[in-house]
Amino acid sequence: MKEPAFKRRGFQFLGLNTQDFIRIFFGGNASLAIVVLVLICVFLAREAFMFFPDHHKDLKTYRQSGQEFVDYIGDEITAHTNLYSSLNIAYYAEVNKSSKEEDSILRATRAVLANVENLTAKTWGRFERDLDKLEDVNDDLEDLDSESEEDRAKIPVLQAEKARLESEVDLLREKLKKEIAEVIESDAAWELGVGTAKPPEEAYPKIKEAVLFAASPEADDDHPYIENLKDVAREKKKVAAEQLVAYKDTLKAMQAAVRPLKSFHSELRDKGLENKKKLVSFSTAATRKKAWEKGAEVAEDPAEKERMLAEAAKVVIEEPDYEGINQVFYDSVPRHAELAGPFEMEMAKLYEQIPARDEVATKSAKENLKRGEVFYKRFENRLSEGREGVKEWRHDKSISVVESVSSFLFGRDWISNSSWHDFYGLLPIFTGSLLISLIALSVAVPFAVAAAIYVNQLASFREQNFIKPAIEFIEAIPSVVLGFFGILVFGETLRAVSQVEWLQWVPGFPMAERLTILNAGLLLAFMAVPTIFTLTEDALNNVPKAFAENSLAMGATKLQTVFRVVVPTGVSGMIAAVLLGFGRIIGETMVVLLVAGNKIKIPDFTEGLGVVAQPAHTMTGIIAQELGEVDAGSLHWRALFMVGMILFCISLLVNFSAQRVLKRLQKV
Amino acid sequence: MHDQVSDNPIMRSENPLLKKPSAVKRRDAAVSVLLRVVTYFILICAAYIFWDITKKGAPVVFKTSAPFVNTSFFTKSPETLMTWETEAGKFHRMDFTDYSQWKRDNPEEVIVEEKSHAYSGGGIFGPLVGTALLTLICIVVALFVGLTTAVFLNEYSSKGRFMDMIRLAIMNLAGVPSIVFGLFGLMFFCLFVPVLTQEPLDRSFLTIPLGAGNFIAFQGWGTCMLAGGFTLAVMILPVIIAACEESLKAIPMGFREASLALGATKWQSISKSVLPYAFPGMLTASVLGITRVAGETAPIMFTAALAHKDKLPWQEVSSLTGFFSQSVQAMPYHIYTVAARIPQTEYTKPMQYGSVFVFMVLVMALAALSVYLRINYRKRLKW
Repeated sequence: MKEPAFKRRGFQFLGLNTQDFIRIFFGGNASLAIVVLVLICVFLAREAFMFFPDHHKDLKTYRQSGQEFVDYIGDEITAHTNLYSSLNIAYYAEVNKSSKEEDSILRATRAVLANVENLTAKTWGRFERDLDKLEDVNDDLEDLDSESEEDRAKIPVLQAEKARLESEVDLLREKLKKEIAEVIESDAAWELGVGTAKPPEEAYPKIKEAVLFAASPEADDDHPYIENLKDVAREKKKVAAEQLVAYKDTLKAMQAAVRPLKSFHSELRDKGLENKKKLVSFSTAATRKKAWEKGAEVAEDPAEKERMLAEAAKVVIEEPDYEGINQVFYDSVPRHAELAGPFEMEMAKLYEQIPARDEVATKSAKENLKRGEVFYKRFENRLSEGREGVKEWRHDKSISVVESVSSFLFGRDWISNSSWHDFYGLLPIFTGSLLISLIALSVAVPFAVAAAIYVNQLASFREQNFIKPAIEFIEAIPSVVLGFFGILVFGETLRAVSQVEWLQWVPGFPMAERLTILNAGLLLAFMAVPTIFTLTEDALNNVPKAFAENSLAMGATKLQTVFRVVVPTGVSGMIAAVLLGFGRIIGETMVVLLVAGNKIKIPDFTEGLGVVAQPAHTMTGIIAQELGEVDAGSLHWRALFMVGMILFCISLLVNFSAQRVLKRLQKV
Repeated sequence: MHDQVSDNPIMRSENPLLKKPSAVKRRDAAVSVLLRVVTYFILICAAYIFWDITKKGAPVVFKTSAPFVNTSFFTKSPETLMTWETEAGKFHRMDFTDYSQWKRDNPEEVIVEEKSHAYSGGGIFGPLVGTALLTLICIVVALFVGLTTAVFLNEYSSKGRFMDMIRLAIMNLAGVPSIVFGLFGLMFFCLFVPVLTQEPLDRSFLTIPLGAGNFIAFQGWGTCMLAGGFTLAVMILPVIIAACEESLKAIPMGFREASLALGATKWQSISKSVLPYAFPGMLTASVLGITRVAGETAPIMFTAALAHKDKLPWQEVSSLTGFFSQSVQAMPYHIYTVAARIPQTEYTKPMQYGSVFVFMVLVMALAALSVYLRINYRKRLKW
C-alpha cells in the first residue's frame, strides 16, 4: 500500500512505527507461551539428563565394589524368603482354623476390655497415681528412723497423709467400678474394630462378665472362662498342629536349608561394604584434598594452616586395586556352587512334601499355597540365574549406555538412603501410577460418558441447566480436599464395605489397609469425571443436528438414534476426552500422595485382581514426598527430575494424540 | 412427552386405543432411567462429600452463642496444642502460648499426662494470608501475560506457522501435570532467575558485576512467595488465555470495523472499542484463575510453602523485596500437613475439619462466582 504523500510520518524507529511496536509487544507476550514451554523442557532436561552419567558412575561403583556379586546371592535368599513366608502363612491359617470361634471370643474380649479401659482412662490414671503415692508414703513410713527426733515428728503427718490417700483410693475404686459398669453398657465399648471376626451371639454375656472381672481394679488374673477358653484354643491348635506336623517339619527344614547360604551371604556383604567405602573414599579424595588446601590458603593462624596442610597431605589419592579387592568374590564362586546346588535339591525335595492346594481347607491357605507355586517357580529361576550370574560376573565388565538407561526404566527397586546401595528403578512407581490411572479411568469413563449422553440427549432443558454447573463445581474441588476426605472418611468406609459378608467374592476383599490403590483410583475417578464429561458433552454437541433428525424421521426411536447415530459420530471427540482425562489423572499429585499408601514396591500381581487392595507409590507422589529432603544436584535429586521429565513426556504425548484425534473429528 | 403419557398406567386404561408399549420402547425407557441414575449418582457423591465435611467442619468454625463465629480460628496462626491434666484431675487444653502463660500463672500446679499435638491449635490466619498473597501475585502476572497474549491471538495475528506453534504450546502447557510445574518453578524461579545482590552465591549460574559492590547473579529468588506466585502464574496461563480469548471473540467484528472506518488506528480501536467491552469476560477469567490457583498444592510445595511460621508476612520486614522474598504458609499445604504429616489424635480433628471446611467453602464460593459471572455475561451478550 502506498503511503499518501501529505501524511505526517509520526514516530518511526528502524522503519517501525508506534502501531508496529504495540503489535510486537503483544506478539512478544504471546510467544512467552512458547518460551515457557521451551524453558520447562530445558530446565527439566538439564537436570534430568545429567542423571544418566551420574547413574552410570553409580552403577560402575556398584559393580567394581563387588556389591553386584553379593546381590546375586541376596536375591536367591529373598526368593527363598518369599516362598517360605507364603507357605508359612498357609500353615498358620490351617492351624488357627480349628480354634476360630475361641479366638474370635478372645479377640473380642481383648477389644472390649481395651475400649473400657480407654473410656475410663482418666479415672484409671488418677487411681493409679494415688496408688503410687500411697506406696511412696508407706515406703517413707518404713524408712523412718524411730531414734531420730525429727523423724518421729513426721510420723503423724505421714499417717494422716496415708489415711487421706487410702480413703481417696477407696473412693476412686468405687467410682471406677461404677464407671466401668456404666461404660460397658454403651455401644462405644463394643466397637470391635474393623476386621475382627464377630464372636457367636451366645458368647456376649460371658464376654461382658469376663470384661467386668478383668477391668475391675482388684483383678490380677483373667476370668476363669477366659482362662478356660485360652486352654481350649491352645489344645485345639495343638491337635491341629499334630495333624500338620509333617508340614511344620518341612517348613523348619526349609528354614534350616537356607542357613548356610545366609551366613555365606552376610560374610560377603561385609566385604562388599568395605569395598564400597574404599571406592567412595577414592572418588572423593581429590575434592577433599583440594578443600583442605584451599582452607590452608585462607587460614590466618599458622598453626591452623600447618594442621590443614598436614590433613591435605594425609589424603591419598590412590586408585584401589580393583582386582585385589574383588579377589575374594572370584574365590567364593566354587563355594557358592557348593552351597547352592545341594540347597536347590533340598528345597525341591522339601517343596514336594508341601500339601497340595486341595488338601487344605481355608481360603487363605489355598490362596497362599497358590502364591507359593508362583514363588517357587521364581525361586528356581533365581537360583539358575544366580548360578550363571555369579560365574560370569566380572568387576571390570563395562556398563553399556543401554544397560544404564534400562536399569532406570526397568529397574525393579527404588531404594534411597540405604547403607548398601541406592537403586533408582522406575518400575515400582510407574506400575503404581499406571494401575491407579487404569482403575480411575475404568470407573470414570462409563459414568462420565453416560452422564454426558443423558444430559446432552435426554435431559430436559431445566435439568441441563442444573446438572452442568453442578458437575463443573466438582471440578473446582481442590485435590487436597479430596485427598483429605480419602484419608479420613473414604478409606475407612471402603474398608468397612470390604468386610461385609456377602461381598467376599470381590477380589481383594476384605482389605487390611485403609490407603490402597483402589481408594486412590476411585477418588481420582471422581476427579476425572468432570473433565471427561465436559469434553464428551462438547463432542456430542458438535454432532450436526441433521444427523439425529434424519434418523428420527426414518422411524428410529430416541435411544436408537442416540446410540447408533449420535454417539458413533461423536466417538473421536470422546476418545480425545478420555485421553485428556487420563492426562489429568496420571498427573494428579495430592490425592495419590495422601491416599495411595506410599509403599515403594511393585504391586504383587500374584493376588490377581486383589492387587487393588495393596498400597502403592506413584511417580507424582514420589516427587512430592522426596524432593524436599534431598540435596540439590545429588543423584537422588536428578532421579526425581528424571521422573518429572517422564511425566512431562507422558502428558505431551497424551495431549498431542488427543489433538490429533480432535483434528480428525473436525475433518468429518 | 408422548412416551411419558404411554408409560402412565392410568392413562392407558382410560384409553383402550393407545398401543401397548413395545419391547423396544420398554428397553428405551429402562436405558434412559439407567443413564439418569448414573448422572445423579455422581451428583450425590459430590453432595455427600460436601455434607460430610460441612457436618464435621462447621461446628469448629461456628458457635452457638454470639458472635456465632469462632473468631480465634480466623485470627490466629497454627500452633501446637497442649493437653494436660492437673493433679486434681482437672483437664486443660490450650494453645502453646496460652499454655506457657498458664504455667507462669500457676507455678504450684503439678502437671500430669502432658501431651502436645503439633499444628492442632490456634487458627488458620497465617495460611489464609499466604494463600491470598500467592493468589494475588499469580493473578497479576498471569492476567497481564494472558490478556496480552489473547489480544495478540485474537486481534493481531493472521494464520500461519508462528500462530500454530503458539496455539500448540498453549494447549500442551494446559496438560502438563502441576507437580512438573513445581519442578520447573524450583529450577527456574528458585534457583536460576537473576537477582540484584551484593553477595552472589557460589552456585550462581552467571554473575555480572555492576560496580559499587552490586552484582546481577543468576541464583534464583530462593523459596519465596514470589517464586510460588510466578510458578502458579505459568501454570494457569493457558486457562487465562483461553478465557480472555473467548471474551474477545464474543465482541462483534462490527465494533472493530466501525472504529477502523472512522479512522482510528488499530490500537485505538482495540483500546477504545474492544477492551472495555471485554472487561466482564476478563473478570470471569481472573475469578476462574483464582479458583484454580487457590486449590493447588503441588506447585507451591517446593517453591513457596512452609508448614510453620511464627510471624505474619508483614511483621518484621524492612523492605518491599524482603516482603516478597519470604516463604509463606498456604491453606492447601497446611491441610496436607495436618492430614498426613502429624500423628492423628482426637485433638487434631477440629483443626483438620475446620481448615478443610473453610478452604472448601472459599474455593467453592469462587467457583460459584465464576459460574454465575459466566452465565450472567453470556445472557447479557446480545448485541
